[in-house]
Amino acid sequence: MLMLKKFLRDVPAVLGLLIVVIAVILALFPGLLVDNVDRVNRGDILQRLKPPSPDLPFGSDDLGRNIFDRVVMGTRSALTISTLVVSLSMIVGVPLGLIAGYRSGWVSSAIMRVTDVFLAVPQLILAIAIAQILGRGATSAMIALAVTYWPFFTRTVYAETQKIRASLFVEALEGYGASTTRIMLFHILPNVAAPVIVRATVGMGFVILTAAVLGFLGVGAVPPAPDWGLQISEGRKYLPVHWWYATFPGLAILFLVLGFNLLGDGLRDLVDPRLRRS
Amino acid sequence: MKFRQFLLAATTCLAGSMVHAQSTIVWGESTPKGLDPHVVYDVPMQLFMLNAYDGLYRYVGNPPELTAWLADSHTVSEDGLTWDFTLKPGITFTDGTPMTADDVVYSFQRLLELGQGPSGGLTPVLQPENVSKVDDLTTRFVLDKPYAPFLAVIPLVSILNSKVVMEHEVDGDKGTAWLASHQAGSGAYILDPETYKPLENVDFARNENHFYGWDDNPNPVDVVHVPTISENSTRILSLLRGDIDSTDGYLGADHTAQIEGSDNAHVQRDESMRIMVIRMNNQKAPFDNVDFRKCISYAFNYSGFIDVILGGQVARNVGPLPGNLWGVPEDVAGYSFDMDKAKEHCDAAREAGVEMDRDMKIHIQAHLDQTTQVAQLMQQGMDELGLSLEIVGDTWANVTSSTASVDTTPDMWIHWVSTYFVDPENWIGQMYDSQFHGTWKASSWYTNPEVDTLLRQAREETEQAARAELYKDAYRIIVDEAADVWIYNTVAQRGLSNRIENFKFSPVGSGADFRWISVSD
Amino acid sequence: MLLFLIRRLILIIPVLLGLLLLTFLMLRLGGNDPAAAIAGDNATPEMIERIREDLGLNDPLPVQFWDYLVRAAHGDFGVSAYSQRPVGIDILDRLPATLELTIVALVLASVLGITFGALAGIWRNSIFDHTVRVVSVAGLATASFWFAIMLQLVFSMGLEILPLRGRLPTGWTPPPDITGLYLVDSLVTGQFATFWYAFLHLVMPAVTISLGGIATIARFTRSAVVAAMHSEYAAYEQAVGYPRRRILMPYVLRNSLVTPVTQIGLLFGAFVSSAVAVESVFDWPGLGSYLVEAIFTSDFNAVLAVTLVIGAIYGVVNILVDMTQGLLDPRVAETM
Repeated sequence: MLMLKKFLRDVPAVLGLLIVVIAVILALFPGLLVDNVDRVNRGDILQRLKPPSPDLPFGSDDLGRNIFDRVVMGTRSALTISTLVVSLSMIVGVPLGLIAGYRSGWVSSAIMRVTDVFLAVPQLILAIAIAQILGRGATSAMIALAVTYWPFFTRTVYAETQKIRASLFVEALEGYGASTTRIMLFHILPNVAAPVIVRATVGMGFVILTAAVLGFLGVGAVPPAPDWGLQISEGRKYLPVHWWYATFPGLAILFLVLGFNLLGDGLRDLVDPRLRRS
Repeated sequence: MKFRQFLLAATTCLAGSMVHAQSTIVWGESTPKGLDPHVVYDVPMQLFMLNAYDGLYRYVGNPPELTAWLADSHTVSEDGLTWDFTLKPGITFTDGTPMTADDVVYSFQRLLELGQGPSGGLTPVLQPENVSKVDDLTTRFVLDKPYAPFLAVIPLVSILNSKVVMEHEVDGDKGTAWLASHQAGSGAYILDPETYKPLENVDFARNENHFYGWDDNPNPVDVVHVPTISENSTRILSLLRGDIDSTDGYLGADHTAQIEGSDNAHVQRDESMRIMVIRMNNQKAPFDNVDFRKCISYAFNYSGFIDVILGGQVARNVGPLPGNLWGVPEDVAGYSFDMDKAKEHCDAAREAGVEMDRDMKIHIQAHLDQTTQVAQLMQQGMDELGLSLEIVGDTWANVTSSTASVDTTPDMWIHWVSTYFVDPENWIGQMYDSQFHGTWKASSWYTNPEVDTLLRQAREETEQAARAELYKDAYRIIVDEAADVWIYNTVAQRGLSNRIENFKFSPVGSGADFRWISVSD
Repeated sequence: MLLFLIRRLILIIPVLLGLLLLTFLMLRLGGNDPAAAIAGDNATPEMIERIREDLGLNDPLPVQFWDYLVRAAHGDFGVSAYSQRPVGIDILDRLPATLELTIVALVLASVLGITFGALAGIWRNSIFDHTVRVVSVAGLATASFWFAIMLQLVFSMGLEILPLRGRLPTGWTPPPDITGLYLVDSLVTGQFATFWYAFLHLVMPAVTISLGGIATIARFTRSAVVAAMHSEYAAYEQAVGYPRRRILMPYVLRNSLVTPVTQIGLLFGAFVSSAVAVESVFDWPGLGSYLVEAIFTSDFNAVLAVTLVIGAIYGVVNILVDMTQGLLDPRVAETM
């Protein structure tokens, strides 16, 4: 309760939460704003490249599709990709971090060396290469991002686990004869949950940005998907006359990522007062 | 060493034209991947080949005319097997070395032995040892069997300075490593190897001593910069601001409108020979069924694409030959956008037991807008028929390597067939003769023994009128069987600054032959 | 310190080897055909097969990897399928452009980030502080390629005050190649017009890349300044009656710099990442646009070599950051 109160006093964090909640609602029920969800990839070719107007709030694109509808639908694809990537990375990264942090010896160092290799080059570079190899498409982009993102969770969890492991209560538990699995699952995991949640929230924003770059470079989502990065790269070809085409999808990315970042900052302040933005 | 020659050429240019300053233009077109004309064989290569090198013959103008270039003349034996080409006397390479038949023999043998680049058109009929020197100026070619398009492919072979290339040979590579970033030819323009940065820039200076002379051109271009500009919208803005003098020749309607309103640039339109095709894998169900293919052919909104998206600036092309080439039958109407007929044919296919419920895939070249637009229109049409088509983003390198076998060839993919040489063989011949299966041009895996026979006869027949009849027959059958979906023949649209005069378009190289261009200032 | 440096440098090697193995396996198992890429358009299946044989692509994978390592150790990274030139030469040609861009962006990010952050920390809760906070949060949420396009739209296409693309005006002769960094080379040789143009061309790409960096550095500097100002030492000095400026300069700022410097190191990765997309937008002839092109043309050798080079630079930068940290904070130096 106290936590909630504290959180509610943090205006930017509440704003972030609001953005994220609205985005999730739109992703689940785009029909709230889009007239015909199934026809979002259809366009009236005679209405192509029309500037914003009351009927077409964001204008229309080169195939005469309603850009507003497509931007709204883009929320779904952005959230789907980022949720899946972050969950996949957590599923892989968290257990590895737990094991590496709890055990010592070759298992631990093997895990951490592999992590080093993945972190030795910027994620985007690796992700582009993997996505290209797997063949273009949202699925390959997703796998590529997950493959490059899990080490961050491993790192975070590893550091936390080591800290906790050195603490007295773990020694006590070991003294009681509690099994390793039990200690890891019921005692260490809950204690690393907070930093993992913060990492995951910020990671959502990061993944949305990276997925957009992949879409922009042509190794991510494939037309006619209403992907934001893809829309920007298509719209770029019609600058400067048809400026609205590339502008609005970019603003959408900005808002959603902003939402996750603000929320992530707020959560971090809650769980880790040391990093408090005084 | 090469650079000093360049400087020399550049200074002679200066000295020779004291009256007016050096004229410089900036040409915003793509440069080829690697500069060896016997290794690289793609559309951007034409820009380099036409300026840095010469061939025995050259295509000039539109419609392209096969013009004796380095060769003075040629003779063919009665049986069509022995061809003699005689060089014009007094031709020199850019380093001053005289060109002889030795260079011609070396060049053809090098091309055939490397087996890359444009050699594909020659290897089936010409062995390296059958190219020989008759005298200092005459070279003899003895073909294995008659091959009518032989003269048509001659312009593809650049004549290299054999002495210079051999000097740079490393480990028997025939100088390929060196020639990938240098020039050893006789062309009208001289590459400055210092400025050559792949995907960034390349500069040329005019060759004062080019064999053709410059009398026809009072204000030739002295220096040409060719920077790599990746995006069309950037290219157009650069043109409008006067930073560059030419875009590439593939502008769309949305772009030309921007240029049309400008005071310092205009749009140059030329009917080309470059057809856009949606390929269908004729050996993969349901595309192996004629009715199904016809259904697809009727389900594409040709006029929506051509008239609305492309602003009516290209001509509908109903079959596998550019409409402005010989060998096209007048009596073939082709397919139009007609959903009723599409349904009829799909129903017929369904009755015949064709399973068409699977997810079909169409591969696009992600960087090329028009392939995306065509795929989406195709998707809309098929959607209405209850057929599912998924768009797969892909690259040229990837699709063309997947077309090596039936199983890896996509259900459908989209590309253009440009003019490499001006002969029906370049299109219908290499696209539908089953002997070319495994190459990207023949990626519909179309097989019809009757068509094979017609196309092979046309290849060996020497009389053009007779060849035309054979091609017309093959054309009718292929269109009737709806082997692919043919869309349009390109009208090249290029933004040019108003300084450029005497731009001479040709479907081969799309007019990037700088020697004809004059500049006014 | 020297020992530390050597030890760290040696530690990079296994990581780079691992990275190379990873990329190698991915590229080779991915079903791309480098032979087809090299053979180019209009190649017949026989040509492709011959190239595959020549390149040893039919050998078992471990043999191929070993061959690659041996050649790479001799500085031979193979031939680029795109340019048909040795990949090493292509990379050397393009590396300076990326270095110039990232260095300028890094300097920009550090100067602006530290200035804004420090001022925001000193004037805590002022309007300036709030503005910096809002802008930096937004800066971190912006897709750099989109921001680049928007800058082009406004400053090149709309206002026409900044160049649209490239490193210099088309046709302008680059300065003599001394370092490859146009700003430095033109200054050294006294070509001031070239310097000015090179600078103008750098503005938008560098601002775009540094955007996220400015935001991060500003945030960390701000909190570090706030923490240092609240520390007991500062309170003591203030109590003793030192003028505010004297406390701020040597003590607060020096102690506040440690965190941002660490961040700058971490940011380098982010910079290289955004350089990939941003270079493509601005036709900047660096490694980023080279990598994108290499990936699209299945240019196997180029992708491997660029990844390796970026990994190596990344490793070296991280070591440099650790050393700078040591210089700024004696406590860290002791552990070296």
